[in-house]
Amino acid sequence: MPPQGNQFGVFTLDATLTAMIQLLTVGLLLEVCMTQQPEWEPKLLGFLCRWCSYAGADLAGTSRKKYPANIRIIKVPCSGRVDSLFIIKALRLGFDGVLVSGCHPGDCHYLTGNYRARRRIAITKKFLEYLGVEPQRVQASWVSASEGGKFAEVVAEVTEGLKEVGPNRMFSKES
Amino acid sequence: MEQKLRQEAKALLEQNKVDWIIGFEPGSLKFAATPLITKDKNDTERLIINPFIFNNLADFLTSLEGRVGIVAKGCDSRSIISLIQDNKLAREDLVIIAVPCPGLIDLAKIEQLVGKDRDELDDITREGDKVIVKIEGKKKEFSTIQTLFDHCLACELPTPQEYDILLGEVRPPALELEVSGRNINKLKETSPAERWKFWESELSRCIRCYACRNVCPACFCQRCFVEETEPQWVMPMPRWQDNLIFQIVRNIHVAGRCTDCGECERACPVNIPLRSLTREMYNMVDELFQFKSGMDKEALPLMAHYEQEEAEDLFR
Repeated sequence: MPPQGNQFGVFTLDATLTAMIQLLTVGLLLEVCMTQQPEWEPKLLGFLCRWCSYAGADLAGTSRKKYPANIRIIKVPCSGRVDSLFIIKALRLGFDGVLVSGCHPGDCHYLTGNYRARRRIAITKKFLEYLGVEPQRVQASWVSASEGGKFAEVVAEVTEGLKEVGPNRMFSKES
Repeated sequence: MEQKLRQEAKALLEQNKVDWIIGFEPGSLKFAATPLITKDKNDTERLIINPFIFNNLADFLTSLEGRVGIVAKGCDSRSIISLIQDNKLAREDLVIIAVPCPGLIDLAKIEQLVGKDRDELDDITREGDKVIVKIEGKKKEFSTIQTLFDHCLACELPTPQEYDILLGEVRPPALELEVSGRNINKLKETSPAERWKFWESELSRCIRCYACRNVCPACFCQRCFVEETEPQWVMPMPRWQDNLIFQIVRNIHVAGRCTDCGECERACPVNIPLRSLTREMYNMVDELFQFKSGMDKEALPLMAHYEQEEAEDLFR
């Protein structure tokens, strides 16, 4: 029985994505060092799907909707691209929360990407909650390219939730 | 049952129906059984079945070439089916010798009950619902709830569903869900911060020996994500933060493949209660997606499949 590659079990790891997460973290640290902020502001990492949510975020911008500047956005080809590791690694590196956003179920550009993302994100979120991570820290939403207003609302709500639970000290030494 | 197993295994090798036989033989430590992987028909004389056949033998299947005859308890058979679902094995390459399993005896629990090391015990036998321990000529009786592994108390499939040869009678499922899940239920009553603290202290002991991963038949990746260096997801140094990430992600990877065989917890040299993670994931997958791993060999793997409407309450 030669071991056969499983089309779904192989994780192709994208170095650029982690590099991007790490760059953002360095930027985040610099920001913290350089600016004397009067109040703590949550840092939210957003993984937005290229076809819907990223375009939705664009629309929020072009239609001059206001939403909190706490979100840092990484564009992904599809919400199905988001590995559970991205979410956990972002929390490990010190982000206060993660938002994954993609096309509404049934509207995926690749037909089934967001259905697969839904299962993966659901178990990641539930499992982290069981371990003791506040539910507000891992969030997911469906935002289409025409829902600029919804995008602004989602970011505002998620940021508000993060303000309630406070800074992420889960992986720090003194936690 | 042992005699019949030896005959069947020998016949399979003699008739050239299989290239390998995987089963159990007596181990070097007292009571312990150890896996026997052989091509030699004379070795089949050493095959045994007793309440100490802990290992999940499905773990060896992915590394053997050729047709294999495998001795399978209920949980092993579910792991085999799960590997078939993942296209790692072909059903026609396997001869499954089903062993109805009355539950495995946890030696650590026995040691705690009698306050003696396993080397000081004369004998441990199972008679119906009782487990009898002989110490210095005296007999002590315990119930199965006191002495079996936690995962055996909630065993849904003691006898394999899928088999070629059945030894003995089909057994009913074990239903001591409350006793079996007491650690998880206790954890769930505490606050999130307390739970996180609990896992921090437990995972601080982890020495990253990867025994949990290596005994797990569901962990079949050729290269594990912890060994990736580009990008380096997890630092090689065993700090609790990275140990915990390893366990979280391992559990997510085996979601829908884990059959609650309890091997990871048994293999752990520092006694981290890993089953409190795996069993919760098992329950969660069942609750969210009505998916029970290793039950139906035609079913698609959990993460390769979806329903139109599910888990929508978790999304904004």
